[in-house]
Amino acid sequence: MKESPQTRKLEQILRSSKLVAGGFMGDDSRSFNEVIYADASQVSKLGYTMEEIAARMQEITDTAKTGLGNWIKVDDKLQAVADEAKGSLICPWPHSGRYVKRITTVQRYNSGETIRWSELNIHLIAEHGFFEGRGAAFRIEPVKLINVIF
Amino acid sequence: MVLEILVAVIVVSSIGTGLAALLSICEHFLANYGPCQININDERNITVKGGKDLLSMLVAEKIFIPSACGGRGTCGLCKLKVLEGAGPLLPTEEPYLEKDERESNIRLACQVKVRNDLSIDIPPELFAAREYICKCAEIADLTHDIKQFRFELVEPKEIDYIPGQYLQLLTPVYKKGGEEVYRAYSISSDPSEKHNIETIIRLVPGGICTTYCFEYLKVGDEVRINGPYGDFRLSETDAPIVFIAGGSGMAPIKCILHYMKNTANNRKATYYFGANKVNELFLLDQMKEFESDLADFRFVPVVAGPGENENWDGEVGLVTEAVRRDLANASEYEAYLCGSPGMIDAAIKVLAELGMKEERIFFDKFE
Repeated sequence: MKESPQTRKLEQILRSSKLVAGGFMGDDSRSFNEVIYADASQVSKLGYTMEEIAARMQEITDTAKTGLGNWIKVDDKLQAVADEAKGSLICPWPHSGRYVKRITTVQRYNSGETIRWSELNIHLIAEHGFFEGRGAAFRIEPVKLINVIF
Repeated sequence: MVLEILVAVIVVSSIGTGLAALLSICEHFLANYGPCQININDERNITVKGGKDLLSMLVAEKIFIPSACGGRGTCGLCKLKVLEGAGPLLPTEEPYLEKDERESNIRLACQVKVRNDLSIDIPPELFAAREYICKCAEIADLTHDIKQFRFELVEPKEIDYIPGQYLQLLTPVYKKGGEEVYRAYSISSDPSEKHNIETIIRLVPGGICTTYCFEYLKVGDEVRINGPYGDFRLSETDAPIVFIAGGSGMAPIKCILHYMKNTANNRKATYYFGANKVNELFLLDQMKEFESDLADFRFVPVVAGPGENENWDGEVGLVTEAVRRDLANASEYEAYLCGSPGMIDAAIKVLAELGMKEERIFFDKFE
């Protein structure tokens, strides 16, 4: 299918380092639409929706924020820490979207498995179904994410 | 049929390309705004060739307005008052301006195009900001994700700033960073050492500037900074002081402590420094030195979750809890806070509960 100019422009922005170091696509050779489609299939197979995933991530971040930069117990399965830095992260999609630079790191007590995300990740998953390309600094593997947070 | 569609696509694409080229040519030759006057603070006039954005024109005149995004309209920092000639507010500015700012003619300098004469107001302290070419003289590891950088000033060779202020560091184009950006970092150095400037930086995963500083910047490299900026500073009262800052938030507090030492300031001061683990505490020797050199200074490291093998016998828990345990009544104190919005909001709440009035709380929020 032929790409629209808007899609082409978005692909360029996602692959550039204009908004984040190394870009949102990392070294992934797939188009961003292919990445979104593949990740959506995995999420669907596991019986979750993007909204459920984003809501759970937001819930964990909100709890982690109360730790003021220190690890805090989320529930019997998880601990989390939220680190904040100066500045904001901009959504690469063509709409106004600016998110504080807050990075949440979550760890499962039983396995030690750890995963991290930014406020922008939560928005990208909720609104665009985008987990970023492989090799990007904030690529989240949907299967791992679901296994850790639920 | 296929051939007809192909021809139609080629014709439509060609017309589109032709129109775009025509527009570009017209803009180049017809959108010539000629010389424009920018009146600054009713004190100074500069003449510029119209057509570009206000921010870049001021930078060309060596007037530095804080901006982190390189003029893309994404950081909202380059606010200034445009009294005349700016035209209507743009949709790209709206998300960054509060209602009272819009009513006061505050605009984003990077979004205002200079097409005619303008009249603007710039805070006078910004005239003191300028660009400095430096050499990276030292990079010291403070923790696993915090480093201290010392830059030796090359041109000009000296800098003056008020302890508590910040500078902007230019990140050049590099492998993982597509274009030049500026990021703000508080100055941590001794203000009496005018040939050097230090800052403390925490690595932000995926951050354009911090990735450059941690992975690419080497001792001996040229570094460009501009500044100083900011109004976070020590008051001139005699009130006892509570400092609260963790991580890289130590930078402006350390600078203020140097200043207090240099000026033989006798104010009672306590610095509560929060860390997650014992190995995330840093510059402890420097803080001990301040305890010996300052008349009445105490450094209180607070560790949220010390490891079993870390043999920690100091304060434990959140830094705000340590403040609450230590201070029964904070009404006579002043507080100086630096850190994340969450930490600052929590500290303000605790200090207010301990009787401190809002006007006695000064902070430098990471936002």
